[in-house]
Amino acid sequence: MPGAWILAAVLLGAAGAALGFWFARRRQRNLESLRSRLVAVTQSSRQTGDNIAHDLRTPLTRLHADVETTLRSEDNEAHRATLERVLTEIHGMQNIISALLTLGQAEAGGMPVKKRVVDISVLLEEILELYGPSAEERQLRLQGRIAPQIQVEADRQLLARIFSNLLDNALKYVPANGLVVLSATTKGGEVVITVEDDGPGIPVEMRDKIFERFTRLDSSRTLSGGAGGSGLGLSLVKAFARLLQGDVRAEESRLGGAAFIVTLPAATAGSSRPAP
Amino acid sequence: MKLLIVEDDVAAAGLLKRGLEESGYAVDLAHDGEQGLKLARAGGHSLWVIDIMLPELDGLSMLKALRDEGRGAPALILSALGKVDDRVEGLRAGGDDYMVKPYAFAELLARVEALLRRSRSFGGGPDTLLEFADLKIDLLSRTVTRAGQKIDLQPREFSLLECLMRHAGQVVTRTMLLEIVWEYFFDPQTNVVDVHISRLRQKIDKNFSLPLLHTVRGAGYVLRVDA
Repeated sequence: MPGAWILAAVLLGAAGAALGFWFARRRQRNLESLRSRLVAVTQSSRQTGDNIAHDLRTPLTRLHADVETTLRSEDNEAHRATLERVLTEIHGMQNIISALLTLGQAEAGGMPVKKRVVDISVLLEEILELYGPSAEERQLRLQGRIAPQIQVEADRQLLARIFSNLLDNALKYVPANGLVVLSATTKGGEVVITVEDDGPGIPVEMRDKIFERFTRLDSSRTLSGGAGGSGLGLSLVKAFARLLQGDVRAEESRLGGAAFIVTLPAATAGSSRPAP
Repeated sequence: MKLLIVEDDVAAAGLLKRGLEESGYAVDLAHDGEQGLKLARAGGHSLWVIDIMLPELDGLSMLKALRDEGRGAPALILSALGKVDDRVEGLRAGGDDYMVKPYAFAELLARVEALLRRSRSFGGGPDTLLEFADLKIDLLSRTVTRAGQKIDLQPREFSLLECLMRHAGQVVTRTMLLEIVWEYFFDPQTNVVDVHISRLRQKIDKNFSLPLLHTVRGAGYVLRVDA
């Protein structure tokens, strides 16, 4: 039955061709997706590079002008004042660079994490006590609503950096007479810590983006030099939370402003001994 | 653990210091009685080793002055005078042990260890009084006075002051304060530490003509006597 053989061969050939075509399409699609991912990575690293350059060039320009002017003066007091400003600018640049290095290290998983059982309720009360006077000075009400004896298995220093960063932000962006609340509670196997305020809040479309490097809500704030940070604080918060198997997200607070919600796994009964 | 040696023979003092350091102690050295008194008053020593024959102020007067101020660190007296009366006088002046020169270092070390052991088991420990200019803090009762006037501090303000007094004359950075007082190792992006310092300054400097707590702009803080 040669007809049947021919039909089988044709069918097989067609199937082979279709399979070949499908594989080629899939490869092409893979290539395309790889290409677009590469483009995105390149763009984002170029964007990061541009941002770093900008963030370092601005203080360098100020330094240059300041030192140049002072060198023309014979006044010892003026020299001293310039040196003090130079030190402050250097400090700011060091902050940006060390934040970037820390971020790179944290995201690449190369950061040492010393996990111990930590009573996060105590830690948060300490942070409140540390930030209390600063909040008062800015005429902000800083309140704690912290359930007692919540334990997490985490690195105490990373935890402190997460919540100090969030409070630094609140102190910078919530206007005078505002309210900032730090609360902590457990839900199922999760510990939920929230830093929220009745300030201007974060527009919906920015709520994911603010965790990306160098994102600032109001660029004019940084241009004025005063309140603006490095634009890396929230990226660090996210990287640290993930290092501790947790996460952070931004939402609208019931107080009307921004709410930063950090979730961490609660410590289990078999966790290692408490930190000293 | 920090010890204070007051000995005018520079070579002997150097050897003693090296020996004690090799045994794991930190050592402050003074070559006359006045300097010894100053260092002892600055505080933080677990034990004093004091020679009797010293320029400026003799060892026994120095020790007596310290005891009169209520300072309780154990004292080991070194002396070339070995008669019974000399030993009695040394112990009566406030000494806890007495060694006659020349001594073997091994015996001195054993006596230092014994004195420290005894002082620990009786609840002693490092000297609990710190002093800078007319500012005094007692680490045990956690009280602060300036020019005899009592100053009330919050616990954290007390720890900040203790840290500054232990480094009196040196610039202490914000990061150091955060590390030592709060045990956090990061650099806050707002002026949290500064606000605590300015509250402390209000309490220790405001009602006195001579400011002690100074800001070193761009660097940190220092306890210093100047205008």
